[in-house]
Parts: sequence; C-alpha cells; structure tokens
Amino acid sequence: MKFASILTAMALLTGVVSIQTAAVAADFPQRPVQTIFPWGPGTAMAADQIIADAIGNELGVAVTLVSTPGAGGTKAFKTAMARPADGYTMISGWVAPLVSAPASGKADWTYEDFTPLHSGVAAAFAIATRVDDDRFANFQEMMDYGKANPGKLRYSSGTAGNLPHKVMAKALKAFGVVAQVVPYKTDGEARKDLQSGVLDFVFVNPGAYMADKDGYTIGLVLSELPAVKALFDGADTVEDMGIDIGLTGLGPLGWTWWLVHKDTPTEQVEVLQSAMSKAMKNDAVKAKLSAIGWTPLEWDHQQYAEIVGSVSTQISGMGDGLLWEEEQIKKLRAQ
Amino acid sequence: MLIESITQGFALFATPLVVILIILGIVFGLLVGAVPGLGPLMGIVLILPVAINLQPITAMALLLGIYVGGSCGGSISAILLRIPGTPLAAATLFDGYPLAQKGRAAEAVGVAISSSALGGLIGGVILITSAPILAIFARQFSPPEFTMLAITGLVAIASVSEGSFLKGILSGCLGLILATIGTDQISMGYRFTFDSHHMLNGFHLVSIVVGMFAISEMVFQMMGKNLTAKPNIPIVRAEFKSVLSVLKNWKNLIRSSLIGTFFGILPGAGGVISSFAAYAVAKNSAKPHEKYGEGEVGGVIATESANNATCGGALVPSLALGIPGDPIAALLVATLLIFGFYPGPTLFEDQPEIVGAIFIVYLASNVALLILGVLLTPLFVYALRIRKSRLIPAILVLCVVGTFALQSSIFDLWAMLGFGLVGIILRIVNYPLAPIVIGTILGPLLENNLRRSLLLSDEGYWIFLDRPVSAVLLVVNALLLSWVAWSTIRKIRSPDSKQEDPA
Repeated sequence: MKFASILTAMALLTGVVSIQTAAVAADFPQRPVQTIFPWGPGTAMAADQIIADAIGNELGVAVTLVSTPGAGGTKAFKTAMARPADGYTMISGWVAPLVSAPASGKADWTYEDFTPLHSGVAAAFAIATRVDDDRFANFQEMMDYGKANPGKLRYSSGTAGNLPHKVMAKALKAFGVVAQVVPYKTDGEARKDLQSGVLDFVFVNPGAYMADKDGYTIGLVLSELPAVKALFDGADTVEDMGIDIGLTGLGPLGWTWWLVHKDTPTEQVEVLQSAMSKAMKNDAVKAKLSAIGWTPLEWDHQQYAEIVGSVSTQISGMGDGLLWEEEQIKKLRAQ
Repeated sequence: MLIESITQGFALFATPLVVILIILGIVFGLLVGAVPGLGPLMGIVLILPVAINLQPITAMALLLGIYVGGSCGGSISAILLRIPGTPLAAATLFDGYPLAQKGRAAEAVGVAISSSALGGLIGGVILITSAPILAIFARQFSPPEFTMLAITGLVAIASVSEGSFLKGILSGCLGLILATIGTDQISMGYRFTFDSHHMLNGFHLVSIVVGMFAISEMVFQMMGKNLTAKPNIPIVRAEFKSVLSVLKNWKNLIRSSLIGTFFGILPGAGGVISSFAAYAVAKNSAKPHEKYGEGEVGGVIATESANNATCGGALVPSLALGIPGDPIAALLVATLLIFGFYPGPTLFEDQPEIVGAIFIVYLASNVALLILGVLLTPLFVYALRIRKSRLIPAILVLCVVGTFALQSSIFDLWAMLGFGLVGIILRIVNYPLAPIVIGTILGPLLENNLRRSLLLSDEGYWIFLDRPVSAVLLVVNALLLSWVAWSTIRKIRSPDSKQEDPA
C-alpha cells in the first residue's frame, strides 16, 4: 500500500513537472526575441538579418537584431550578458568577441561561458590590391618590395586588432614584410582608400569582392580550403604560396555562432536550438546566404565545443603576428 | 546607358504597390523623424524585417520613403517645439522655432518640407546624372582631405555661434571632449569608460541631442505659465505657397542642396554636418536685412534642403562603389544584398534596371514628400493647440520610448536625463547647445583622420600639403579662420556689441 502510494505520488509529480515543462516550452516565446548584434549595419548584418528572419518564422514571433557596436564586438557581449537569461536575448557570437578578444586579453570570458544554439555563417578573407596598380607584377613582387623597404607599404584590415588584422599580420610575418597598418572604423572605408591610392592592400571578403570584381586583384587567399579559393576565382592561397599562418579550417575565417546566456533555462534553449536548426537547414535560407557571399554553417550545438574549441586553441596559439608587427614598426620609428 | 537604365527601371517602379509603399514610407518617416529619439535609421531598422519579405523594388520604395520622410520629419518638432526630432534637424531650430514663435509655424513647417523635398530632388538629379563620376570624385577624399574638412566644420561653430563666440567655442570643445569617450578607433584602447560596458562606444548621439534639447526644453516649458490654458492658435490650411517661398530663395536652395550632396557623397561626413555647413554659408551670405537666428526663412531652407540632398548624395558611393556613406545607407546596401544585388560597379553593368528603378523611387519619394508633407502640415501644427499640461508629458514619454528603442538600453535613458540636466545648466548660463552637437560629430572625424593621415605619411604633416585637394582645403581653412578672427575683433571693438541669446 505504502509502495503504491509512493508510486502514485511520483507519477503525479512527474506528470505535474512534465505538464509544467511542456507549458513553459509551449508558452515560449510569447514576445519578440532580440538578437544582440556586435557590429554596425553592413553585409554581416544582412547575413544575420536573413537568419533572424528565418528563426522568427520558425518561432512564430519576430526576431529582431539590436546593433550594439563598440570595443571590437565586446560591448554587445557584455550588454547581452547583463540581460535576463530568459531566452528572449540571443547573441550573434562573432569570432572576434567570442574567441579573438579573450585570446588577446580584451575580454574575460571563454567560449565555454555561453550556451550554443547553432552555427551561423562564415566568410573567408583575402588580401586584395588595386586592379590598376601597375607598380608590381604580382603579389609576390609586392612582398619582395615590402621586404626590401620595411614600413613603406600601407595596409588595412578595417578595425585594428580584428581577426583579419591578426591573420594578415601573421601572413606578412611569414613573408618577412614589415608594413604599416592603418585602422578604419569599417572595412568599407579601407577599401575606398585602397581605390583612392593611399593604401597598398586591404582585406576583402567574398561579398565585397563580388560587388566589384573588376576593382580588385586578389593577391592572397588567407585559407587553404579549396572552396574558399573558388570564391576568389582561383587566386593563390597561403598553401599555394607556401605560407604557414598557423590557422587551418575555420581558424582564419570570420564566422558566427548564435548563443544565449549560460543560465538560460533548458526548455527555452531547446526551443531556440530547434528553431535555429530548422532555419539553417532551410534551402531557401542557405541559398540567400550563399548569394551574398556568406557560407551557411551546418554545425549544431552538439559540435560547438569541438569546433569552437579547436579554433580557440588555434587563435590563442597563433599569437605573435600583431606583437611582431608592433615591435618592428617601433624599431623603424626609432631609427 | 543612363536612359536605358531609367527606362528599364520605370517598368519595375510603375506598380500601385510601389507607389503605395512610398506614401506609407513617407508618412512613417515623417512620424519617426518628428518623434525625439527615433529617426530614419531607427525607422528603417524597425521596418527591415517586413521589407525583406517584399519584392526588391517595393522594399526599396518603403525604405527610401522612410529615409526621405525621416530626414525631414525632425524639422517639424524643431520648428514647433524647439526639439530637433533627429540630430539632422539641430540646425533647423535656429530660425524655425523663432518663426513659429512669431505665429508663422505653418509657414515654417511648409518651408521646411518644401525645402527638404526640393533639396532631395536636386540631390536626386545629381545622383542620376553623375553617380559614377561623383563616386570617382569621392575616392579622391582620403584621410588628409577629411581632416581638413573636419576643421572647416569646426570653423562653422564660430560662424553659427556669432554673438557668443567664446561660449560657442567652449561648447564645441565640450562636444569634442564627449567624442573622445569610448573605444579609440586607432589603438582600440578604452578612454573614459570607467570600466562600464555601456561606455565602450561612448554616449549615443541621440541621447545627447534628446537630453540637451528636448528634456531641457520641456523643463523650461514646465517652469513657464499657462500650462493648462488652451493655446489660441488658429487652424491653418494646407497651402502650397511655401513651395513658391522656397523657389524665391533659389540661390540659397541650390547652394545648400549642392553642399548637402557634396557631404553626402563623402562616406562618413553625413547630413548633420551638411546642414550646419549650409546654414553657416547661408548666414554668412545673408543680406543686411536678413536676420538669421531670429526667424529667417532662409535658415530653414538652407538646413533642410542640405540634409535631404545628403540622402541623394549618400546613395552615390553606396550604389556606385558599394561603400555606404552613413549607417542608413549601409542598411539600404544590406537590404540590396539580402535580395542578391551587389551595390557597386557590377550592379550598374549587370542590373541597370535595378539602379534605374532605385533612382526613380528616390525621386518619387521626394515628390511624395512635397505633396504629403504640405497636405499634412495643418495636422502637425495642431500639436501647438494642445494644452502644455498634456503635450509635455506626451513628449517626455516619446523621448523615453525613442531613446530606449535605439539599443534597448536603460543606460541611454540615464544618459539622456544627464544630458538634460547639462542642457538646463548650459541654457541658464547662456551657452549655445548646437556647437556641442557639431563637436561630438566632428571630433571622431577630425581625430581619426588626422591620426590616419600621419600613419599614411612618410613625411609627417607634409601630407596635408602634398595632396592637392588637402592643400586647397588647408588654404581655405586658413582664410576662414582669419576671417572669423577679423570679424570677431571688429565686433568686440564695435560700440554697440552685445551678447545675443544663444540658440
């Protein structure tokens, strides 16, 4: 009798908990979900807007992007972390604030401090020169000139210390070239100044390249992946030129992984994970993202630790490109 | 090529839905522009999720309508309430509000809307006829030229602060100091952030403008009399006389529109600088009987035609180079990307019909602004007939909603209130507020481009003389500064010199 009572009580309790859980999941979301986006308007925002729209369709509520630029994306992360962990705030976790900033001591979190929803998009980087720049026959010749004339070449990756800057500095170190970086607020401004002739080379992503293929000569694709080489019409990759930048796979690419606060209740997390997973498997969404030069990523939350952990290890270990560049420039100025 | 592009684009434009969405966009834009805190950027952000589910040109019709309407809407609250709805309209209240105080509110609003529309049309014609050429011209502006241009803008502080020159300069310096807060663009170091993540990007410009202008004005209004009395303001009718009034000032209109377009095509310059610059030029070109700052129609024409012409100008680098000139243009570029169109030379070559349709939509938006704006003027002026006891709380609520909507940030609201207090104090001690806005906007433009120039240069400051456009601007700045110094000394020595009430 006693055992039966316990069983009955447990069954009732389980039932109540299940009903409550189902109710929470069914009730969520009841209002728009915000995604804290770490940059200003631009092509990255276009990609995230497509994803946000698709998640919104799955959830049945609007998913809005809140542009919160500042401090290389870390302001957005701090803003999102200060919000209630109730599932109504997602973070577009771009590699710069998620992995690169902690690696350079600019943020006090690790990628393990967030709960992953799903991977978003990736974009490759390449070094581009002006198409009408006839000073050098090819990129190698420019590097030879740079090596012979330290500090004479000027380049930009957009924001100082961002991932493209780190990757470019590492590549330049491999070539033995000391070049002066010129930071800009946006990479678009840097591309304009490449065209105006004050910069010698800049970083471009596939979207920028596709918008003006006749305006750029791709000098070096900063990835070894064949798919990335194809995006830049078969230009030489780091592998083709025998350069080791210490990054492979997703390591030298720009990418985003959508996240929520670690304290977000499991039920809400599961709803968001499911919605984003469906959204990222949608062929129309993938086609839209590909059309604007971004590669849709298909890794779900279970692969987060493995994929992001590997990139984090690579970026933390690649380290000294920026430091080397800074030291060399200081030496030149002291002369 | 151009005619072909326009002809092909017309087929995409000429649908009832496109026309309806332009109208909706204009009305929505006027509303978000007039509400302190909101503005065309926020309006477009709010509508973007809807727009990307439309057809490309219908989406662009909606968004460009908001851009054009929102760039004008801020003038309505500036004129009627002494509150610039957006930073773009900060210079409009110099003459717009005094006009309203003289009982000419409907005329002032009509002139502002007509000037905006006509300025926008002039900017649009320039965009259509010369976008690729102007894009090449814009490329000539690199950090040394932007540095010189920022200095020109700072000289404008002296110009618009006439009557309280020293106070104007001090206010401008406060703006420059505020602009240093946040993350340094060159070193990525944090400045004056006090370990607060809210401060990592500095104070939001809208928090500053809404706080200093709107909150302080509402406090002063509350301290006034007749809070519960119904204002005795006659009902006005929609009249198109304002268009004629603007056309009579055709020199000012064309000059200011050209200034607006010029600043628009330079990525990073923007509508606020263009409206202050156009105002400064108009004021300095005024005839002796024209009293700028006391309710002169020419002041409203200058600022409003310039800031709407900037919209057309900003589309030049956005469409022709794929490089957006300001955040709004960046969102328009992002929208085109979402639809699979790459703004840039490729778009002009591969999809001329899209370029043509966007051109026509932009022109049609300005025509719609002219008609709708003038027809809606009586409705806007009706706000003045509301009792202050009802109007003031409503405006304060709108200020809070508008400022919060920017980043969903409570900190922005505290900043708004803080700057409200600063605005009250500055107005009590008779310091002008407008130079703070100029300083805040020009600060990063000047500092970052100066430092970039020195990074680019092998010979230090000589880079400013090595580049022809920079050298010309340097000479112009030297002449302008000399003129300001000379006119200030002359004024101080003048026996009837007096301190004027600041804007």
